[in-house]
Amino acid sequence: MKYLLSIIALYLLVIFQTSFLVHFSFWGIIPNLIFILIIIWNLYEDPDSSFGIYNAFVGGFFLDIFSDRIIGFNVLILVILAILIKLIFNKYVQIPFKKI
Amino acid sequence: MFLKKNKIWLGLIVLVLVFVLLNVFQKEMRGFFYSFSAPIQKVFWRAGDSTSNFFLGIFISGNLKERIDQLEASNQKLLSQIVSLREYEQENQSLKKALEVELQKEFKLSLAQIISKDISQDSILINKGEKDNISKNMPVITEEKVLVGRVIEVYNKFSKVMLISNKNSSFDAKRPGSLISGVIKGMENEGLFFDLIPSEAEVNEGDIICTSSISGIYPEGLLVGKIKSIRKSDIESFQQAEIEPSFNLSSVENLFIITEF
Repeated sequence: MKYLLSIIALYLLVIFQTSFLVHFSFWGIIPNLIFILIIIWNLYEDPDSSFGIYNAFVGGFFLDIFSDRIIGFNVLILVILAILIKLIFNKYVQIPFKKI
Repeated sequence: MFLKKNKIWLGLIVLVLVFVLLNVFQKEMRGFFYSFSAPIQKVFWRAGDSTSNFFLGIFISGNLKERIDQLEASNQKLLSQIVSLREYEQENQSLKKALEVELQKEFKLSLAQIISKDISQDSILINKGEKDNISKNMPVITEEKVLVGRVIEVYNKFSKVMLISNKNSSFDAKRPGSLISGVIKGMENEGLFFDLIPSEAEVNEGDIICTSSISGIYPEGLLVGKIKSIRKSDIESFQQAEIEPSFNLSSVENLFIITEF
């Protein structure tokens, strides 16, 4: 169930970003909500869980669909980012915050 | 351990093949997603437009009086220019008749609406596609004949338009009423650059720039923008200018695709 909800939420967020948020650019810059969400999710998630990587995959896929880039470009970046965050927080950093 | 390693490699190979396949059929897949996303995107686009207009009203309310005065002065100047241009127009019509020159035909246009914008690539998605007889490289303009861009990708019911500010966009342009011409290049984030202007040409800030038909990419006379600043060097044979584009996506509801020119 959470996997399906994640797909719907990320899909709506990408549409929101490309159709609503584009009207609020500052010097041509618009925040990439998917990137922000994936980073925060993987930071707060238990490093042993793979749901964050799944979210990175789905978010990247929808970003690729609604952009001009080849499909897989944002998927690769986000998945590598998610894996790196988990590796760093699993092996090298111990921060006492609540894990999802 | 060996089987586990092999499984990972196999999984990666399968994933790569899936993505290669997705890119081979990317046009059909994107078309599929755009067709069921379009109603939601339209709602978000309109909501974003009205919300940004509301906040813009609050931010500029302090300068409103000054802005109104500037626009009124500019309007008066333009009205007096129209009066003198009307005389030239009449003279032009009689000369054309006397020389029996064929009058330029108006463009064939197709109305479209913006669905979404690609934030990283300076391109937009519009709601007309193959089934509306839209094809690649058709120019896209606003109601006021301001150039927006050209169609680069056509799906069944949608098309992707590359804005003139896209870094891959370049086309010839000129200052109307003179022989001054050059090349307009996209600068990303809705910026434009007017390059290859002969160094001896006299260009000034505020000069209007429009399209030229030399390369045939766009029809002649479409408004591009105004010169914002000029870069000139004594040792270079060309000068450059930064252009303030005339198109503003946040204030545009309808676009027109030139299907024939």
